[in-house]
Amino acid sequence: MKNLKTVLSTLFLIVFSLLIVACSNSASNTTVETTATKEIKETVAQKKTFTVGFDAEYPPYGFVADDGSYKGFDLDLASEFCKRAGYEFKAQPIDWNSKDLELNQGNIDCIWNGFTVTGRENDYTWTFPYVDNSIVLVVRSDSKIEKKADIAGKVVMGQAGSSAITALEEEENAELRNSFKSLEQCPDYNSGFMNLESGMIDCLAVDIGVAKFHLNSSNGKFKQLSENLSSEQYAVGFKKGNTKLRDEVEKVISEMWKDGTFIKIAENYKDYSLTDMICLGEYVK
Amino acid sequence: MNNITDIIIRVFSGAGASSIIFFSTIIFSLPLGLLITFARMSKLKVLSGFAGFLISVLRGTPLMLQLFMWYYGPFYLFRVSLGLNWRLPAIIIGFSINYAAYFAEIFRSGIEGIPVGQYEAASVLGYTNSQTFIKIIFPQMVKRVIPPVTNEIITLIKDTSLAFAITYTEMFTVAKQIAAAKATIIPLLVAGIFYYIFNYIVAFVMGRIEKSFNYYK
Repeated sequence: MKNLKTVLSTLFLIVFSLLIVACSNSASNTTVETTATKEIKETVAQKKTFTVGFDAEYPPYGFVADDGSYKGFDLDLASEFCKRAGYEFKAQPIDWNSKDLELNQGNIDCIWNGFTVTGRENDYTWTFPYVDNSIVLVVRSDSKIEKKADIAGKVVMGQAGSSAITALEEEENAELRNSFKSLEQCPDYNSGFMNLESGMIDCLAVDIGVAKFHLNSSNGKFKQLSENLSSEQYAVGFKKGNTKLRDEVEKVISEMWKDGTFIKIAENYKDYSLTDMICLGEYVK
Repeated sequence: MNNITDIIIRVFSGAGASSIIFFSTIIFSLPLGLLITFARMSKLKVLSGFAGFLISVLRGTPLMLQLFMWYYGPFYLFRVSLGLNWRLPAIIIGFSINYAAYFAEIFRSGIEGIPVGQYEAASVLGYTNSQTFIKIIFPQMVKRVIPPVTNEIITLIKDTSLAFAITYTEMFTVAKQIAAAKATIIPLLVAGIFYYIFNYIVAFVMGRIEKSFNYYK
């Protein structure tokens, strides 16, 4: 009996100290890059895995298909890149709020997921933009709101951590934001549209691709205001300073643009009006 | 340093929103739990069967799903649009009813654990059924259920972060948003410390209450 006790308490001690070691490691990673993470990164490079971080609730850029697999325009592009550049492709769904932690810890190589450059120019190493996106305002189709000025005094919602919220928090939009009755945040766009449909909120600030998808699939429940909240561009974001991988991606994407593969992939998502939003042609020489 | 003070203040500002959920749930769920216990222990088969079914549904489905039902249910089931003012009531109803189900089972175990001798003695002394319950059974039950109730209360404090599923911004959401904006995990650690302090206080107070009930030992 006593023996069993000793064994159990030793086991407990081992597990507990392992936990503490694991915790302290992850805590220090964000500030100081430990040698351990460097080693991990090197092994990643040896295996040549290319890990793409994405939000799995962000159609058409990354989402869960009917069969449960991860699908999306950006994932298709990334997997085509890997095929051409000889990487092993890995799609890693992340919590959008934790994207910087994931990138800084080296859990993902890049964020390739309708990732907005505007306002984040100096925070990441970017490829050239390939999609021009805008943040639009969506209201219920029976709503009296017709133009941007009408949303004064209304309840407006955006996704937490999204570019719509970032845009509204900017100094230049202070007047618009202060005119709202309140600015609410939702965890994902689907709940945003449910809040809009059920009359909890009056207006949803949302990226154009997501808006088009819901406008097309909701049988006229919603309408989009003709004035945009803002216009913005998407690119692939790497950890600041990782120009080597960035250059590689830019080179392969340019090839994909020239041989028409890029547009062919975009056409698979034409329900989302993706082809209208492609702006890569302006950047490929 | 200023930066950290700023983070602490901003995270703490979300603590108010979490506390509203916490205190409202405690106030409503404890009495409601007792009512469900009575129903569950009722001699009426219909009543006890219904209470049993209620408890099994409330415990057997995720709290997050129940919050969705209370929040979106009025519109998607009955086409009643209640506006954003419905959000906090929906959260409090969802949390209170869910926790009442757990409390009900804890209370039942507390009541059923009291020896038959207590009832027999009360009967011999001429106590009516309600007198027996109020003066003899209930105080002993309270003593017995304090440790498991403390457990549930601590879980409740941590569960308040579920409210963001229906867009209610509470402490953990504020922390996550600052963490995202500043690319640091410090706000999450700060939130963790706040949860811990709050739970420590709860455990301390409940420990005191438990001790004050220990008058026969």
